[in-house]
Amino acid sequence: MLTDFKISFFLAVRMLRRSSKTGTLLTIFIIAMVFTNMIFLSSVIGGSIELMNEQTVDFYISNIIIKPKEDIRFIDNTSSLVSKVNRIPGVSHASARYELGASLNHKSNEIALPVIAFNPDDEKLVTKIHEMMKEGQFLTREDRGQVIIGNYVAGNVDESKDFFESLGGVKTGDSITVSFVNGVSKDYRIKGIFQTKSYQTDYKVFISWNEMEEVLGYPLDQSNELLVKTEAGTTEKEVKRTMLSYGIQEQVKTWKEQAGGLFDESIESFQIINNITLIVSLIIAIIVLFIIIMIKTLHNKREIGVLKAIGIDEDIIIQSYVIQTLIIGILGITIGFCIIQTLIAYFLAYPIEFPDGNVSLYVETGIMIESAVLLIIASIIAGYLPASRIAKEEILTAMRG
Amino acid sequence: MAVISVKDLYRVYKLGKVDVHALNGVTLDITEGEFVGIMGPSGSGKSTLLYQMSLLDRPTSGLVTIQGKNVGGLTDHQRTRFRLNHCGYVFQDYALVPELTTEENVYLLPMAQGKPDTESIDTAREILGKVGLSNRLSHLPRELSGGEQQRVAIARAMVNKPDIIFADEPCANLDSVNSKRILELFKELNQENGQTIVMISHEDEDIEYFDRVIRIFDGKNRER
Ligand SMILES: Nc1ncnc2c1ncn2[C@@H]1O[C@H](COP(=O)(O)OP(=O)(O)OP(=O)(O)O)[C@@H](O)[C@H]1O
Ligand SMILES: [Mg+2]
Repeated sequence: MLTDFKISFFLAVRMLRRSSKTGTLLTIFIIAMVFTNMIFLSSVIGGSIELMNEQTVDFYISNIIIKPKEDIRFIDNTSSLVSKVNRIPGVSHASARYELGASLNHKSNEIALPVIAFNPDDEKLVTKIHEMMKEGQFLTREDRGQVIIGNYVAGNVDESKDFFESLGGVKTGDSITVSFVNGVSKDYRIKGIFQTKSYQTDYKVFISWNEMEEVLGYPLDQSNELLVKTEAGTTEKEVKRTMLSYGIQEQVKTWKEQAGGLFDESIESFQIINNITLIVSLIIAIIVLFIIIMIKTLHNKREIGVLKAIGIDEDIIIQSYVIQTLIIGILGITIGFCIIQTLIAYFLAYPIEFPDGNVSLYVETGIMIESAVLLIIASIIAGYLPASRIAKEEILTAMRG
Repeated sequence: MAVISVKDLYRVYKLGKVDVHALNGVTLDITEGEFVGIMGPSGSGKSTLLYQMSLLDRPTSGLVTIQGKNVGGLTDHQRTRFRLNHCGYVFQDYALVPELTTEENVYLLPMAQGKPDTESIDTAREILGKVGLSNRLSHLPRELSGGEQQRVAIARAMVNKPDIIFADEPCANLDSVNSKRILELFKELNQENGQTIVMISHEDEDIEYFDRVIRIFDGKNRER
């Protein structure tokens, strides 16, 4: 058995080394390309999903969100809840948000949007919106009469460029009129415009907690939601469990639970596209290898007959061709792996610009291993079938060439 | 004692609807240590007979016995193993493996028997020395002359010290000087090691080397 393998390997290595190098190199290159193709699309998709996830955490939900108990509109005693949550192990910081319906006016443009209040000091520790100021400044605790708005709220002078209804291209320093549902109407100076590229966030309007208290006319200790940033090295699930064990009565959801349905459908369609590419790539790999080995074995028919005649078992001969395709496959996969690493490095430096943000490649080790294993199985099949066809022929027929 | 015994051997090739009767009832014995020549006109069935005796083909009917064993009853794998361990082959067109060097072509066989690498290589080199190719060890077949290639083939046929060597017109592609050299090599090996050699030839001057000549006409032997 071991001898058989040794002889197969011996023959395979020499046949590879001493037969047409161009052919072999081309085949290796094709496999490398197929492997790259199998991984590339899935990693772009992986990158997009990863981007959506990151954006969701950084700009939209943070790690964990606390919502009022079922059928209740507000979280009461918000300040004490925030301090309580901040003390829970695994929690980095919490930021409370309060929403009040309003309509915003600038010149002839009017849009209806809730205005959200937060404490800028808390918010900075929980989301990264403050890092994404396109122009102007983020809010501070003391800010009155000032508002920051998302890029889509600001919009463009040319309305055809807008995704949503907007204020028609307002700039930092412009004044807008906000009419709240409680009847208060007030002019605000735009302090800054943020652009996170997460469309949910970029269609929001924020004021400081203090300003909201002024609009309401009373000290505010209610909120609609608490965004909670967890500490690095913890999982949201763990921290959620801890929070529940600390007796938080409100609804606690990890960002995945909260966002859940939001992306499921697009992820699913991504995965269908991805699987089709995977299968097509595999079929190409099998066919290419099959043709190459077919030509090779037909070309070597006489040689295969000779080997059998002098006493080399057909199984050893078949094995030697399988080893050849395996070597080709493994070399191809290795080169493909290097190509992908290069692409990853490249796209990290120069991300692909999508409307939703900049996508880098995100390669899951699982998919990489899966593709490599599938390609190796393809190599084995593609080596085995043609080789066994020729090796099972009558010796004399084969020797005649 | 008969090392090869052939009885009522028939081989019919099917060529479309036509049956070609290549062997028509050959019966013969070959004694151990004999250097036998098979001669006869072209198309008479010499090669076909040799293939049946050397386990490269199966007869349509009849019996081939080697060293008392009915080799017709062996499976293909067993026959391959038998060829590796008991037979050596030399063909008219050398039939070397083009991707293997001189010495690789030769030491492949002991290695396939499971002998250690060093032993296999040493034996191969020793035999290649005997056939005068010590300075051609790492040449590929295409880098060798016809005579040299045939000497590699002979070395390969010898390397496992087979009981029988089968040669199908080994000198047909060689000039007279090289032919003589090859025949003398065979004779030497036969006398030194007592190996049985069965060789097809159609050169009358080869007869002097043979212990005995079997003549084939129309698929039948005229000997005896
Ligand atoms: N594979 C085959 N299919 C059909 N007919 C064949 C086949 N091989 C040989 N024959 C026929 O069988 C007969 C004997 O052929 P064989 O090769 O044994 O002759 P030979 O004596 O070796 O001739 P030569 O001296 O030319 O080599 C010939 O008529 C040949 O045409
Ligand atoms: Mg012949």
